Amino acid sequence: MADPRIDRLRAAAAEDLERATTSADLEAVRVKYLGRQAEITQLLRSLGSLPAADRPEVGRQANELKVEIDAGVTEKLAAARVEERRRELERAKPDLTLPGRRPPLGTLHPLTRVHDEIVRIFMGLGFAVAEGPEVESDYNNFEALNIPRDHPARDMQDTFYLSDDTLLRTHTSPVQVRTMKAQRPPVRIICPGKVYRRDADITHSPMFHQVEGLAVDRDISMGDLKGTLELFAREMFGARSKIRFRPSFFPFTEPSAEVDVVCFLCGGSGCRVCKSGWLEILGSGMVHPQVLRNVGYDPEEVTGWAFGMGVERIAMLKYGIDDIRLFFENDLRFLGQFA
Amino acid sequence: MWGICVKLSWRWILEFLQTDLTPQEAAERLINGGVEVESVVRLAPDMAGVVVGLVEAIERDLGEHRGHHVVLARVSTGRERFSVVCGAPNCLPGVRAAFAPPGATLPGNRKIEVAKIRGVESQGMLCSEQELGLGEDHERGILAVGKDAPLGADLPAHLGLDDWVLEVEITPNRPDCLSVVGIAREIAALTGAKFQYPSITVTEGPEDARALARVRIDDPALCPRYAARVILGVRVAPSPHWMAARLLAVGLRSISNVVDVTNYVLWELGHPLHAFDYDTVEEHTIVVRRARAGEHVTTLDGEDRALGEAMLVIADPRRAIAVAGVMGGANTEVADSTATVLLESACFQPGSIRRTARDLGLKTDAAYRFERGADIEGLRDSLDRAAQLIADVTGGVIARGVVDAYPAPRRRPLVRLRMSRIRRIIGVSPPVEEVARILEGLRLPARREAEALEVEVPSFRRDIAIEDDLVEEVIRVWGYDRIPSTLPGGVLHPATRPPALEQADAVRRALVAAGLSEAITYSFADPATEAALGLARPTAEPLRLLNPLGQEASILRSDLVSGLLETIALNVRRQQPNVRIFEVGKHYARAGGAPAESRWLGIALTGARADLAWYAPRAPVDAFDAKGLAEHVLAVLGVREPAIDTAGDGPAYFERARWARLAAGGTTVATFGEIALPVREAFGIPSPVFVATIPLDVVAQIGAEPVRFVPVPRHPSVQRDIAFVIPVSVPAAQVEDAIHGAGGPLLRGVTLFDLYTGEGVETGTRSLAWRLTFRAGDRTLTDAEVNDTHARVVEAVRQRFGAAVRGA
Repeated sequence: MADPRIDRLRAAAAEDLERATTSADLEAVRVKYLGRQAEITQLLRSLGSLPAADRPEVGRQANELKVEIDAGVTEKLAAARVEERRRELERAKPDLTLPGRRPPLGTLHPLTRVHDEIVRIFMGLGFAVAEGPEVESDYNNFEALNIPRDHPARDMQDTFYLSDDTLLRTHTSPVQVRTMKAQRPPVRIICPGKVYRRDADITHSPMFHQVEGLAVDRDISMGDLKGTLELFAREMFGARSKIRFRPSFFPFTEPSAEVDVVCFLCGGSGCRVCKSGWLEILGSGMVHPQVLRNVGYDPEEVTGWAFGMGVERIAMLKYGIDDIRLFFENDLRFLGQFA
Repeated sequence: MWGICVKLSWRWILEFLQTDLTPQEAAERLINGGVEVESVVRLAPDMAGVVVGLVEAIERDLGEHRGHHVVLARVSTGRERFSVVCGAPNCLPGVRAAFAPPGATLPGNRKIEVAKIRGVESQGMLCSEQELGLGEDHERGILAVGKDAPLGADLPAHLGLDDWVLEVEITPNRPDCLSVVGIAREIAALTGAKFQYPSITVTEGPEDARALARVRIDDPALCPRYAARVILGVRVAPSPHWMAARLLAVGLRSISNVVDVTNYVLWELGHPLHAFDYDTVEEHTIVVRRARAGEHVTTLDGEDRALGEAMLVIADPRRAIAVAGVMGGANTEVADSTATVLLESACFQPGSIRRTARDLGLKTDAAYRFERGADIEGLRDSLDRAAQLIADVTGGVIARGVVDAYPAPRRRPLVRLRMSRIRRIIGVSPPVEEVARILEGLRLPARREAEALEVEVPSFRRDIAIEDDLVEEVIRVWGYDRIPSTLPGGVLHPATRPPALEQADAVRRALVAAGLSEAITYSFADPATEAALGLARPTAEPLRLLNPLGQEASILRSDLVSGLLETIALNVRRQQPNVRIFEVGKHYARAGGAPAESRWLGIALTGARADLAWYAPRAPVDAFDAKGLAEHVLAVLGVREPAIDTAGDGPAYFERARWARLAAGGTTVATFGEIALPVREAFGIPSPVFVATIPLDVVAQIGAEPVRFVPVPRHPSVQRDIAFVIPVSVPAAQVEDAIHGAGGPLLRGVTLFDLYTGEGVETGTRSLAWRLTFRAGDRTLTDAEVNDTHARVVEAVRQRFGAAVRGA
């Protein structure tokens, strides 16, 4: 049979719980009914004074009641805490329109960004990156590349000399020479780096950056060059980019081609920047047999192609920059635009 | 891009080419065929209705008007008469001049209407050169034309101005395109139009040229051929109008009929010629030899030229009379008195001409062509064409025959072109019949042998030497747009990057994340600036350029710091006082005789630590910002706890009391400090600048230790804070070393969290507070163990530095 005290306590607790609204009230309810001095605790302690037959039933009921009250308090307490926190925040509402605490914003140089993008694209196509010195020999920079002394092709690249046969490289092609001399085909590399030409105006800088590419293998054709550069153009300038090849002349390639990309500013209809609808972005061609022979390759056995582009030129086109000197002034208001 | 632009007249080209193409269409085709056409410009300025008018009479004098004496002239165009107000001094009866009747339009869209000037009606306008956009001249008056000019004729047409000028830029391999005929031939090859090589005939007189003149080549390696003709009885005078006008159209000044012919033929056929006054050539003998030691010649430009012994000269038996292939000499120049002309058409070794022109600083049209290679067989045509023209325009008579020294006539090389090679190089090949047709169009005679062609290379195509040259010729005409688009096959290898680039990338990422901006400065430096920075080092001298753009960029930098300071100065000048930048770049030096390049990181800071904001403390940067960034980068590169070293001398550009180096394993891995006041003031920087540099190659050699996992602690740690009052002369790093030493294995962390001087701390001392973290790997520490270790630490610091425990 049920102990009448338990029914009474259940009713009283329900009433107290109903009345309690704050977390403090609820904590008080918990102490009143579940604390050391609570009636239920007393009751459980005094079980021994009951008839043996009643003890299990009364004990079970008392414990049930404890669990019931505890659950009731816990549930209401959670809701009360949420409500109280909300009210507290309402009282001290911050002005969230104040500027946020921003960490300082650093920026990579735009040339680094464009350089990284070019390198990433070609690494994705299986090109390893190769480097070499900027102070080079006349042989590696010119003669190995089929540009003898007193050849008018030297006019194409006005050169800074340190001595009669030491110069600042005018392109990163000497890295191609060094790589081919050190390695048997197949070769598939890109050579990024600083290069120097004795020329200074708003589109020419005496120091600028190039990325050149070279692929040499048993069967590699100008078609492969075209396909590879088409892929590059789509990655660099957007999925709908088109390129065209125009015949040109470089002493180290035969045949040679200038490569234009459809102007991404006007879409090819002709604008202030491109005039013709096309933008010249790089020079390329099939590696001249004499260059292959100079590095110890047999031009009947392997063929290859090479290309070279100016990072500044690509960056100027991509970002609409009209003066190359801005890259080397490092005005923070310029650099800050490339975050 | 490179080289010079050659201007060519479209009408002139059409003398040798039958085509319906517009000059614009032809230009487009040339561009797609590899000949760069910079522009196609209408020769005549934009005008309409301007005709040849005759000033029949001056009807009235209208007096002074705006500083000119003004008259009313009667002008006839043959069909109509006009009363025209004119203030030109040469507006005289009988003059034929440019006349714009009402309704005509002048350049700049200036419409001519009937106007009232000084109350008198003017029906149109007599025009000056300037008003027609044909030149600058206005003061001399109206543009007069010849007495034979037909009245009412369209003026631009009469002046030969209804023409287009193609500005062509030639790659160094195609000197054959540097002429009207060359471009006509090229257009024909590219478009299939009919090309007509000029028919050149010479009417010779009775006298034998070989009896009149002799040619001796002493150096056939530098002059493989020298041909000459003699034209007698010439009368030197101004050129006929048609020739002067044509030369003017392509940008050449008319000089005299004889000289103009040599230029005319140069433009038409591409071969440089030279005319000597025959009577001034001693013994009428040409000697082609190298210059003698100390020899001089005065060239046509009036300059006295000291010749080098490597230079080739044209001489007579007594003296040099021209710098071969570059410029003629004044001593044999054709003058008004010249009666007999010795005309030279020769061929010189390109490299020799190039060196000579460069060493003399003489850029001439002749040298430009000879250094690219002249047509050794075609030079006879040029000689004949010019001789005939001289005879025609001067009334002279050509002596019979040619004095032609050609010791070793050229053999026509044969180059074999395999269709399989075209396929190999291009990926595809046109059928052999089409290849043969293309070669024919290019005037490259070929004999077919199954799937190959045997091509005979003519003398005007010096650039064709090997099979691949022919592959390009064929594909260029066939169309680069027909090259297929494929991707290379073959074995794929993993794409790798050199460790140096990986390292540079990591450095850049770390510093950008820390809020710095990357700069890229020139590798060039000013030796004066470097000297002011105290960068001169006994062990390494700077790399000097032989031909710098200027003194301020005449060496390669030996330190990044000058570029960084310049960058700070520029930004501060432009009202950006807070600068936090870095650069990854090279230092250049000559080390042990050889040029050496080393990779460095430079960091430079000035102004406030943080940009102005409501939450940011307004503190300027200091040396600890530079140090912290260096430590940050080193940590990223795997150098965790570099030692600090303040001993010795640092770079001269630092304040002596404000710099230190960080070292790992005894090697300097970073230097940081404050830029010395006079240094930054020399750059015009008003606020203190802090710099850190890291030798990236050195750090790469030290190498990051490979990452090894250490178990995360499972037992709790205990933290104790302790503050010592220590003399300020004791470096904090030494105290920390002592703490570590005394703490033993249980002491796992030492963090300096407070630094205090001021009230409560005796002058000459400071309070340094550390949080010590104790932990054991295998158990929870007892209070007794912690107390024990802590006490040892306190005792050690006390004894070693005379420190007092603060608040103890």
